[in-house]
Amino acid sequence: MKKYMLLSKKNLSTLVERFLKEFQVYGPTEKNGIISFDIISDWSELKLDASGVPLLPPKKIFLPPEEVLFTFKISDDNNIEIEDPLDKIKEKKRVLIGIRPCDTHGLTLLDKVFIGKTVDPYYVTRRENTIIICITCNNPTEYCFCNFTKSGPSIKEGFDLLLTDIGEFFFVEIGSERGKDIINSNLDLFQEASENDLARRDQKIREVEEKLSRNQLTSSNELYQKLIRAFNDELWNEYGRRCVACGKCNFTCPTCHCFDVYDVMELTLREGKRVRKWDACHFLSFTRVAGGEIFRKERTSRVKQRIYDKYCYPVDEFGSIFCVGCGRCIHVCTAGIDIREILKKVLGM
Amino acid sequence: MKNVYIPNIVTISEIREETPDIKTFKLIFKDKEAQRNFNYKPGQFIELSVFGYGEAPFSISSSPNQQNFFEITVKRVGDVTNALFKLNEGNAVGVRGPFGNGFPTHKFENKNILFIGGGIGLAPLRSLINFILSNREKYSELTLMYGARTPKDIVFKKEIETWKKHVDVHLTVDVGDETWKGTVGVVTVLFREIEVNPKNTVAVMCGPPIMMHFVTKELLKLGFPEDQIFLSLERLMKCGIGICGHCNIGRKYVCKHGPVFTYKETKDFLETAI
Repeated sequence: MKKYMLLSKKNLSTLVERFLKEFQVYGPTEKNGIISFDIISDWSELKLDASGVPLLPPKKIFLPPEEVLFTFKISDDNNIEIEDPLDKIKEKKRVLIGIRPCDTHGLTLLDKVFIGKTVDPYYVTRRENTIIICITCNNPTEYCFCNFTKSGPSIKEGFDLLLTDIGEFFFVEIGSERGKDIINSNLDLFQEASENDLARRDQKIREVEEKLSRNQLTSSNELYQKLIRAFNDELWNEYGRRCVACGKCNFTCPTCHCFDVYDVMELTLREGKRVRKWDACHFLSFTRVAGGEIFRKERTSRVKQRIYDKYCYPVDEFGSIFCVGCGRCIHVCTAGIDIREILKKVLGM
Repeated sequence: MKNVYIPNIVTISEIREETPDIKTFKLIFKDKEAQRNFNYKPGQFIELSVFGYGEAPFSISSSPNQQNFFEITVKRVGDVTNALFKLNEGNAVGVRGPFGNGFPTHKFENKNILFIGGGIGLAPLRSLINFILSNREKYSELTLMYGARTPKDIVFKKEIETWKKHVDVHLTVDVGDETWKGTVGVVTVLFREIEVNPKNTVAVMCGPPIMMHFVTKELLKLGFPEDQIFLSLERLMKCGIGICGHCNIGRKYVCKHGPVFTYKETKDFLETAI
């Protein structure tokens, strides 16, 4: 098999129809003008050419907004029986198609947190069960800045297959053994790509890069050091005043992954479940301990927490920034805060 | 794959009332193998489940020399602790852990140790003190400074008496009563009563942030090097495994990098630790 293949648009629909027989298929769909990742039941529901990215990032498919960690039963003889839902999660084989490079990179970053020294069993099971078919971005929005975070418009890893729209065909790159298997089991749909097709792919990517360069934010190696020096800078107070602590930037961020854990009891008081739910470092309650102490009382400290937990702390911990330049936090911010403006100020641009 | 979120079941085998709002719970794993595999260091913590009410982090207050059970000493301050206080001996709760780094006891060998505790902060220090007393010859002079709100709020009262054979113990209360003949004032007033040589002494403390802030200031004034001051820090450790994001102080997670840090380390956090 050649390194690069072609897949006609018509054949992509056939491939998706075949996936639907075997897998649960997730992809971008449009409802009431809002793009979101949903389970589809027909090829026609897919919206692969949407501008920008779905409102909620694909983390929701691997770390659901709310999920049951286990259920428990308390018996009369004081015994506690715990039921682990992992086996049920394992059964579901899934395909995620139409995810953009920025979001694909976001999953690679989440992997560092959830599949590190300690493995989060729910997350890793879903990751292993899900085939990733990424599509090169061809339509960035005014909020996008993946040129700064180096996570778009194309990508080198994190996918099983990568498709680039070059007109009549998708140019197909293989990112894993699993990707290779998909092609091998559907050889009738693919054909080999030529040097000319490769040149067309490169041209497509250059066109998107050209569009992105309009945000005038160039990648910088100095951000980490400059943030460390700026920790007590006056500039944070302005954003502390403007921020309304709604947490939307947290929830829509492809790499924000904080969660709360709590129990929900049935009225019988004999059965219950332990639940985890997305949480937001912008909330006052986020650092509250039982004695009543709140470690980040000021909004300024919470605004800073998120910025530093994107561009500074993860550099220590994981060796990379935790922002993919998707622009969701800019798009959804109630207070009109533009994270690119903060970055420019810190960098002195 | 082991599911790190699923607790082991333990039985409450004994409950001791320390103060009106603090109890010590002796816990034994239902599964004998789980009990054997439960090895911990002084200063580590567990996540305790009271099923139906949730999970919360607690320091282990027993010494790891105890093989057949372990203990936590709990102050009733929140929902999980309130539910825990309603349970009886024989009831079952859940445990995950142990988590965190614990005290680096090998670094304390051949040194004087100054333990400084405030309120319920004596819980992890009790684990450490009893561990050190069972290996007494490895360490030099031992001193304890402990402060509580009132005489009624002093934890481990009987045990502190037994420590006095080996440890120079100094107590204080914020507010005395008719029975109290000892020192009155915040824990830092005890510095007047003790003599320490900062050159060969480590200071190990746990207590409210404000206490640790002022104690650290005093220690620095006395000439303690920043890397000889050990702090056990409290934050909201929800998952205990560095994923849920609640317990970071700037660049470090209290649950996996801590909860024990030197003062020197905390200065690099960016956010203020104490």
